[in-house]
Formats: sequence, structure tokens, C-alpha cells
Amino acid sequence: MALLKNLAKVIRSKNAGALQLTLDVMFADEATYTRVRDSDALNAHQVAFLYGISHNKVSVIPYDVAYAIKVTIPRAAPSGDPTDSDVYGAQQHAPLLDIVVPD
Amino acid sequence: MLDHVQTEKVSSAGIGEISMVAMTGCLGYGFTEQAFQRALDAGMDFIGCDAGSMDPGPYYLGEGIPFVSREASKRDLSIMLEGAIAHGIPLLIGTSGGGGGEPHLAFTRQLVEEIAAEKGLHFKMAMVHSELGQDYLLKKVRAGKVRPLGPIGELTEDDVRNTHRVVAMMGVEPYHEALKAGAQVILAGRSSDAAIYAAIPTMRGADPGLAWHLGKVIECAGAVVEPKIGQDCVIGRLHNSDFVVEPGHPDKCCPRIRIAAHTLYENPSPYHLIEPSGTLDTTGSTYEQIDPRSVKVAGSKMHLADVYTVKLEGVKRLGFRTMFIAGIRDPGLISQMDTYISTNTAKVAEEAAGMGIADSDYTLTYRIYGRNAVMGSLEPVKETQAHEVGLLVDCIAKDEATSRMILAKARYCCLHNDFPGRMCISGNLAFPFSPSDISVGWVYSFHIWHVMELEDPLEPFPIELVEV
Repeated sequence: MALLKNLAKVIRSKNAGALQLTLDVMFADEATYTRVRDSDALNAHQVAFLYGISHNKVSVIPYDVAYAIKVTIPRAAPSGDPTDSDVYGAQQHAPLLDIVVPD
Repeated sequence: MLDHVQTEKVSSAGIGEISMVAMTGCLGYGFTEQAFQRALDAGMDFIGCDAGSMDPGPYYLGEGIPFVSREASKRDLSIMLEGAIAHGIPLLIGTSGGGGGEPHLAFTRQLVEEIAAEKGLHFKMAMVHSELGQDYLLKKVRAGKVRPLGPIGELTEDDVRNTHRVVAMMGVEPYHEALKAGAQVILAGRSSDAAIYAAIPTMRGADPGLAWHLGKVIECAGAVVEPKIGQDCVIGRLHNSDFVVEPGHPDKCCPRIRIAAHTLYENPSPYHLIEPSGTLDTTGSTYEQIDPRSVKVAGSKMHLADVYTVKLEGVKRLGFRTMFIAGIRDPGLISQMDTYISTNTAKVAEEAAGMGIADSDYTLTYRIYGRNAVMGSLEPVKETQAHEVGLLVDCIAKDEATSRMILAKARYCCLHNDFPGRMCISGNLAFPFSPSDISVGWVYSFHIWHVMELEDPLEPFPIELVEV
């Protein structure tokens, strides 16, 4: 097994508009990408648990041509709201780093 | 049939090649003159530049100001205007001034006119307005033409009345109208980023799937280029059945993976990208590295929608914000921040009440950097190991005076109040600055993030033509 942060080249978060957050996990090569994609380690239930939301609000889309897996979730508050803490949504990726990917 | 279906009709005669240069990710972010000159020498059909985004948050739309400096905008605009006029090609600017509202458009117009006067340039210019009046939007809400875009409630009439500023995001059709009217320079209000680049191709009968996808790929310009150091120009060449993207700068390259990955960026899905006239579908797109610098893309489709929709972005004003930031180094205090904050909050409320201010009249927010200020309740690390933390306190109230008054009370309480085991009784906070209290400005929030159905894609986008 391995941690996602040791397999991915990029793990990033960013706004997808003011109401959603999108997390991209990108890999350097097809083999690593396929391994993680097929392991199902990064699934809607896992993301829902990490981000404290319902799994049916999580979208997970494998994107083969760029060796990437895209996760989109609703923001806890709209970008720039008084209760928001990250206007660009650029530092919300940390919970994904330590996801365990089985061999 | 809607107008847009006809405006995005593929020409049976073919388009040959339509070439374009995307200047930079945002007007004011810069580009190299070398890259731009190389593009111009290669012979471009038009120049495009995005000038805005909602990513910096609701403030800039609310306040009507850009999020880049005037000087940087002028530098970029000056070089591209001179290039466009010298080569007799159109210059299309999308989301002028950062937000596309009336003050944003006026800001950009003033810059253009200033540059033109200084350089002795003359041209026909179109301003495409995109800020909506409340009466217009109320009619649309009442007619059931507005619906949520993502996780937000239905737009109510009260929401519309509470709006400080709202803009609609245009597609390609207003650009078509402006070009048909003879404009060489177009300053568009809020615009789909990709529409800047899809406008001329769709007018000339290009395949809309390829035209929109090319627009999507190059709208952030240098974001698809390596090495990624600063922003720079990107060249797009659109053909009948593919498009090719290459960097303007001779020492840079576009790697296949960056081009393919770009539809991930800031979008909920890389396969289905919604535009006013329909959905760009990249499911069947292919990406081929044709030389070390260039990538060829084919197979992208545009599924035209039955109903034309434009995105609405609107903000309401919440109040005025003041803030202070301070460090805490006392280990005893760091271990009991929650009770320290709740004690201070209660004391501030008591003092405010004594001055006739109810606690519902203001919002006081404490952020503890070094603990969970970035992720809040989602922070997986529950116990901080930090030997120092940053405390950021902000107050939002109806006006600046009230906000400053409450914040000053909070500052005093946080600095001087006792807590169990307190040893350093002279003060709890290390302020980096004097003055400690900073007036930040008016606070806005996005309360409109919806789509609006249109029968006429031009309806909310009046075009104003001027001779510069």
C-alpha cells in the first residue's frame, strides 16, 4: 500500500465557481494513474467522510487523457462569505494527501 | 430555431485556418513582447484577452474595481492595442475591468482612450454592457426564467432588491453584433472566457465544438505553457477538423498533458463544459503532440442547448469590515484558545450593549492561524503543536464607525483580559503593526449564482459604439 501523496504528481484544490470546490489528483504516468483509479481508493464515500458532506454530493470523474482524477464537492460557504476561510479554495487539498491506496 | 443555432452553423465551404493569439491569463498579468511580436509576425486573424474572473471573490464585483493594478493593465493594453491597429486586426477584451460591471467597463474604456490619445491611435470601438438593472431581473424572476447554478437557493424577488451589482455572462453573439457593426476593438462586460476566442471562428462558420474547445484551452494563455514562469501569449490555429496550440515565445512549449489537463482547471467536469449556447463535450477529444512545442486537438463536440442560458453573478453588501492581526506566544494561552475567545466575545457583547449596539448588529470572527484557520471544522489535525499562533479578528458592522468601535473593544479584551494561569499580565497579544486596527472595506457576498433563460442572446447586452 501507499499514500496518495507519494503516488500523485499534483494534488490541488480550487474553486469551480463560487459555490463548488474542485480537487484534481494528477499522475505522472499511465500505470500509476490506472493503479489508483482502479483501486477505488478515491471514491465518493471516502471524500464525503474527509470533507464532512453527504456522499451523493460528491462527484468523482476519472480523466484518462490527462492521467487525472477530478473530485468536485460543494463549498461549505460561498467564496468570500464571512464564514469562508479560503477565497480561491486553493488550500483545501490536505485531507486527500494521506488517503491509503492498496497494492 | 434560435438565433444562436444559426450563428454557430458550420460553413460548408470550410474555414481554412483562423489564427488567434491569447495574450495573457488576465489583462495586467503581463506577457513578453517577444512572444507577442512572434505571433504578430506569423499573421494573426485577431487578438484576444480575458480581463476578469470571479475567483478573487465578491468584493471586486461589488466595489466596481479591478483586482490588478491600473499601471499593469495599461502596459498590457497599450502593447496589444498598438499591435492590433498596426496589423488591422480585431482586439477582443472579455470581462473588462475584472468584473464586467458598469464601473469596470468605464475603467477599461478610460484606459483605452488614454492610450489612444497618447499614441495617436484611431479605431471604432464597441462596449458591450452586461450589468443588469433590478427591474429587468425582477421580470425574469417573475417569469420563471432564472434558476440556481449549483448549490444555492431559488432567486427571490427580495434577493434581487438586495442586490448591489449583478452581471450576466455573454456568449459569442454580442461579439458577432459588435463585429458586424464594424468595431475593431471590443470591450466586453462579463463574458464567457472561451467566447472571446470562439466568437470570430463561429461567425466564420467554424465547427463550434472545436472553436469553443480552443477557446477553453487558451483562455488562461500561459497556463498551458512550460516552463510556467509568469504569464505569456499562446497561439491557437483553428482548422476544419482540428486545432493546434503553441506558445508565442520561441523558448517555451505546450506539452500534450497540459493541453489535455486544462479542461480540468476550475471546472466541475473536464468532459462537459457548459456555455450559453450549449455544452462542450470533450469525451471524444484527442490530443496529439505534433512537435515539441505544439499540440493538435480534434474530436470535440458542441451540443447546442434547446434553451439559451446566461450565467448571472451578483453580490449584496453586508457591511463594513475592520480587522487586526496579532501573534500569541504564551503556551498557557495557546492551550485554551476556545475559552479565551468565548470569554472575550461575551465581554465585547456586554460592552457593545452598553453603547446601544445589539450583538445582531455586528459579526465578530476569530481565526486562529496555526490551528484551523484554513480548513475550520474540516481540519483533520485537531491538536495543534504550534509554539505560536496567529490571531486574526475581524468585525463586520453596518458602517465603518461601528465596525471600528466593536473591533477596538475586541482588541482591548483580547489583549488585556485574564485567563486561568495567566503569567504575562501585561498583554496577551504581539501586534506587528501600529496602528493595529485596519479598515478593510465594504463586504459583499455572492447571493446570485444562477442561470437565466433568454430567447434573444443579445437582450441583456446593449452595444455602444464609439469612434476613438
